[in-house]
Amino acid sequence: MRAALAIAGVELRRFVKDKGNVFFTFIFPLVLVFVLGSQFGGSASSGTVTITGPASDLRTAVSEQLEDNDVTVQLASHDDMLEQVARGRTDVGLIIDEEAVTAYSDGGSAELEMIASSSSTSSAAQQHVRVAVSNLDLQQLQLRALEEAGVPTTEASEALDTAAGQVSEPTLEVVSVDRLSQEFQGLGQFDLGASSQLLLFTFLTSLAGSSTLINARRQGVMGRTLAAPVSTLQAIVGQSFGRWVIAFFQGGYIMLATWLLFDVDWGNVGLSLLVLAVFALVAAGAAMVLGSVLDNEGAAVGAGVGLGLVLAAIGGGMAPLEIFSDTMRQVAHVTPHAWGYDAFAEIQRHGGGITDILPQLGVLVAMGLGVLLLGTWLLRRSLARSL
Amino acid sequence: MTQTAEQQKHTSTGQDVLVVDGLVRRFGDLTAVADVSFRIAPGETYGLLGPNGAGKTTTISMIAGLLEADEGSVTVVGQPMGPTKVAPKRHLGLVPQDLAIYPDLSARENLTFFGRLQGLSGGGLRARVAEVLELTGLTDRAKGPTKEFSGGMKRRLNIGIGLLHQPTLLILDEPTVGVDPQSRNAILESVENLSGEGMAVLYTTHYMEEAERLCDRIGIIDSGTLQAEGTRDELIRLIGGVDNIQLTAAGDTEAAAEALRALPPVARVDADRGRLQLTVHDAPTAVAQIVTTATASGLQLSDVQISRPNLESVFLHLTGKALRD
Ligand SMILES: Nc1ncnc2c1ncn2[C@@H]1O[C@H](COP(=O)(O)OP(=O)(O)OP(=O)(O)O)[C@@H](O)[C@H]1O
Ligand SMILES: [Mg+2]
Repeated sequence: MRAALAIAGVELRRFVKDKGNVFFTFIFPLVLVFVLGSQFGGSASSGTVTITGPASDLRTAVSEQLEDNDVTVQLASHDDMLEQVARGRTDVGLIIDEEAVTAYSDGGSAELEMIASSSSTSSAAQQHVRVAVSNLDLQQLQLRALEEAGVPTTEASEALDTAAGQVSEPTLEVVSVDRLSQEFQGLGQFDLGASSQLLLFTFLTSLAGSSTLINARRQGVMGRTLAAPVSTLQAIVGQSFGRWVIAFFQGGYIMLATWLLFDVDWGNVGLSLLVLAVFALVAAGAAMVLGSVLDNEGAAVGAGVGLGLVLAAIGGGMAPLEIFSDTMRQVAHVTPHAWGYDAFAEIQRHGGGITDILPQLGVLVAMGLGVLLLGTWLLRRSLARSL
Repeated sequence: MTQTAEQQKHTSTGQDVLVVDGLVRRFGDLTAVADVSFRIAPGETYGLLGPNGAGKTTTISMIAGLLEADEGSVTVVGQPMGPTKVAPKRHLGLVPQDLAIYPDLSARENLTFFGRLQGLSGGGLRARVAEVLELTGLTDRAKGPTKEFSGGMKRRLNIGIGLLHQPTLLILDEPTVGVDPQSRNAILESVENLSGEGMAVLYTTHYMEEAERLCDRIGIIDSGTLQAEGTRDELIRLIGGVDNIQLTAAGDTEAAAEALRALPPVARVDADRGRLQLTVHDAPTAVAQIVTTATASGLQLSDVQISRPNLESVFLHLTGKALRD
């Protein structure tokens, strides 16, 4: 154990000596958190609604109504709208198709389909859409009433009655928003993004940090270490402990920074740190595997960043797992990110306790031990290769 | 603890510190080491002399437990060695052929780190680090990052790390490659001193002079095979080692040749137009007598040259090629 600690110590010492490391691990994520935060902040007022469908009186009327309520309205094709919703770039997608337009001008029953995104401001925007549509409905009623009504009050009220019978209220069909909007109820505007960023960054930085293991192998110090009375497992544990400390520190730092700057609610901080600790273990172990398989530092940084992004994308580090299809959600759970995401979701959104996240913790610990053992075996094999 | 005491006993009973038996290692189709066996006694300096690619480093990697042997075994102070073994590694100090130091750490940090790996700690570690810094002449430069060191300083630190824990067997893999003559001499001297202090040394080189100067016994290795083994003199005798003396002179060479043939150390004399070629035993001792006899027979000597077979000639004889290509 002493040997492992000595190795971890020397790796940390080297890490701190390199100013570039400090920038990429601590300054860079903060910059990104800031950029993303201000983006979230910009759309925070009343949300964004993206409308798709041909130009029509109904579309103009709905847009005006929404804009009156400080909602940003965008027009887009159907596919673009879906993509924006999926990526959380817009809060609500609203479909105003030919059928609805005709129904509206004929005074019939118009059905507007609304697709809510998983963004945290979505439920507010949905509310705006509902209000806008019912306002329109009222206007339509009055318009009809005025057209049909003559001067006399009795006739007017008669006409109003008739009009009410003729114009049915446009009905809104809300597609698959219920589960999602419930899921994200009460979530701060940046809470979701922050835990995803945390998972993405700690894993990515760790993988890219696998270059230090390659560095140690290339400089012959790994060979020299293993010529000392130090087992390969001890060497790997030492190396990955150094990585782990960096990943944990970075994760903790992101938690603190997002709390201070963006008021992110991390729920039970002790539990969140526990999830981070276990997730960082997997990240550090994965770095050891990468650092034993590859023989070139540059390649390791490239592969680390690439793999870090891909795994995050699959595992809910970029878009919320809840908007994934069932199959994709299953696929996502081959990544540690998805398990980390689930655990954070339990803690942040459902006030989950330790027993609620035990399954996730268990899977992450198993993954961590798995990659550490694999790394040990690969490192021993790597010594037979000429670098 | 008990283990260490036991190991101590092994060493002091004169058991070999290293037994290498039938080592074989292949890399794909290439057999880098093909059946290498030798032993090193306590305090002995053993040289592995061979050209580039002979298999020296591969052999050493197996001895240090860094590389799995395909066949054969290594025993260090009575304990079997291998990549998964930890205990026997305590007895070894490895100085790799390529520098193995952290360039971004200082000399002191490097020494302290590797000392910890060897189980040193606290005041004992600090004292040893200071001693080794002194020994390698790096005390003044203990603080700066080693990437700012000259090549020679890096080499000295590289060696110092191997000595830190005072191993029973110090393994030096071509420690003087790429070092200026002055540093080289300093390195050779310190190896001589260590061996004087009773440390066993395994020294690989492709410099014949280094092997001759340092080693009690030498193994000649080529193409992964030990071609011959013994002390310098044993190896030379192996090729029927006799010395040559060449005399350049004016006068009656035929008469002089006759007189010289009568001398006991002289095995053979060839005279040829003012030149005499003598094959003798132990030329340095015989040369005085030969010069006296030649002068007495009326020769005016203008030049005397002694040439003795060296390990280079042994290597040439054994492998049909020069040590350095
Ligand atoms: N990891 C490896 N993979 C493939 N071939 C190797 C490897 N290590 C060594 N070899 C080959 O094995 C042979 C012996 O190499 P080795 O390094 O042991 O020679 P050496 O005697 O130390 O040479 P030098 O004096 O140049 O250091 C060479 O042909 C080398 O190319
Ligand atoms: Mg070599």
